[in-house]
Amino acid sequence: MRNIRRPIRFRTKDNMANRGTAQRPNGQTQGKICQFKLVLLGESAVGKSSLVLRFVKGQFHEYQESTIGAAFLTQTVCLDDTTVKFEIWDTAGQERYHSLAPMYYRGAQAAIVVYDITNQDTFVRATTWVKELQRQASPNIVIALAGNKADLANKRVVECDEAQAYADENGLLFMETSAKTAMNVNDIFLAIAKKLPKNEQAGNGGSSGQGRRLAEAEGQKATAGNCCK
Amino acid sequence: MTKLSPSPLISRRLAMLSNVDEYGFERPSNFDYETYEEFMSEYLKVLAKRAKKWSNIIGEGKSLQRSITIKRYVRKGIPGEHRGMVWLSVSGGEDLKNASPDLYQRLLNGPHNREVADIIKTDLPRTFPDNIFFNNTENHQHQLYNVLLAFAHQNKTVGYCQGLNYIAGLLLLVTKNEETAFWLLKMLIEKILPEYYTPTMDGLLTDIDVLAELVRMKMPDVYQHVTNLGLPWAVITTKWFVCLFAEVLPIETTLRIWDCLFYEGSKIIFRVGLTLIKRNKENLLSCRDFTLLAECFKEITKDSIVVQCHDFMQSIFKVPGSLPGNTIAKLRSRIAEDRARQKQVKSIR
Repeated sequence: MRNIRRPIRFRTKDNMANRGTAQRPNGQTQGKICQFKLVLLGESAVGKSSLVLRFVKGQFHEYQESTIGAAFLTQTVCLDDTTVKFEIWDTAGQERYHSLAPMYYRGAQAAIVVYDITNQDTFVRATTWVKELQRQASPNIVIALAGNKADLANKRVVECDEAQAYADENGLLFMETSAKTAMNVNDIFLAIAKKLPKNEQAGNGGSSGQGRRLAEAEGQKATAGNCCK
Repeated sequence: MTKLSPSPLISRRLAMLSNVDEYGFERPSNFDYETYEEFMSEYLKVLAKRAKKWSNIIGEGKSLQRSITIKRYVRKGIPGEHRGMVWLSVSGGEDLKNASPDLYQRLLNGPHNREVADIIKTDLPRTFPDNIFFNNTENHQHQLYNVLLAFAHQNKTVGYCQGLNYIAGLLLLVTKNEETAFWLLKMLIEKILPEYYTPTMDGLLTDIDVLAELVRMKMPDVYQHVTNLGLPWAVITTKWFVCLFAEVLPIETTLRIWDCLFYEGSKIIFRVGLTLIKRNKENLLSCRDFTLLAECFKEITKDSIVVQCHDFMQSIFKVPGSLPGNTIAKLRSRIAEDRARQKQVKSIR
């Protein structure tokens, strides 16, 4: 049977999660609403979909179905006076789906590259994803490295220090996470939300085509290369 | 009702009320039993009628030849208990199997590539975890392992591609026989579908573009709208092609599609895709942004249109309009050439 845990809500607005347009505060209410495209990348079975399921629905399935193509979900977090809405693209991990990946990271303002702390190969694969993002994604993309399955510490083969050092060298956010226990799951998304530019002019090079188009389609004030309205 | 039909129909009736469907899939907590029962009470009559018709043409010693009658019968649905046999027969798999009767066993005997075996093993518990045959019994997972391992060693170009686990899993649920499931998988991948599962997935990427082109030709407003909102067609349709609608559409609808797929070939996938889009055209056009559109494309694979599998299957032959085989063949070769040219340009750069 599936292990469905009770949702853990951490300053998230679930009722907004499935809505296309973030609600615009009505005058007296504070704050900006920012919308960001975030992509998850990493080897098959490292826990990409599980991290998303934990973050969006507060659930965990011991056996998460393998993702084919990609899955799309949204979740909103509040950060001081700003509401950050993530459009999350969760991708398939198997190498042969690689040719589809640029479609998902193109225009993404953030990426979480996931590996499994109990499997060295997945860490190596994560570093090649980071290289690809640095070369081909938007120049100001915020990249976070997630060492998932931290609950399996007794089977650990990738040392935390090693991953931290790699992340520091490459200017990545880094956390060890556990989709199973929820450890650091909301935190890594929040850390990304904090690091993303939320000023109108602090855009990311204007290559976030989808974000811009989206804002225009909503008929709301669009700012080139950024999401803030 | 003939003597042949009651037992499967009774099992369907029981499954109507259960929280697990007749194929072993757990129903979600928000499953709409009322609407489903309404549909099923009508569909059971159809099934009873079809079962009787099929029992007249399937019998001991009778072989099933491809003919206009059988094609019509297949479009109206193959009874569950005959599916595996009919699929094998109309796709030509039976002849291949008879020509190499010990192939499957030889493949199982090995030797086996450890890396391939490990990748398959990772996906076993991740295949239909909400199905009682796959999550509770080692047996089905072991059969799935055998089918995928045998296939990967028989076709080393394809090997194992994620997505095949769902197809082989469904084949096992239908046929309840791993050797039949193996031959049907082989027929799908090597005879019926273009190169969807090879390492470069060229056939898949081509067919995604072919569907987009067909949408452009038949529903230019939808095509323009999706393009304007910046949603790539691959994002929407990759899983449709890779899983052949398994894990996308309701199970009974998927199997009805597979009935036609085994008889008529991969063109059916375009018919289904175009029908889904056309029947939901207004909803899709009313989506004002990228997020809503992506959600809407998810919704259209779950609504009552697709649950009513019998009506849906009739509509796929009407709604998209004419779809000649040579139009698809021409589009495929034109798009494949374009893709090859683009690849070449990229590699020169």
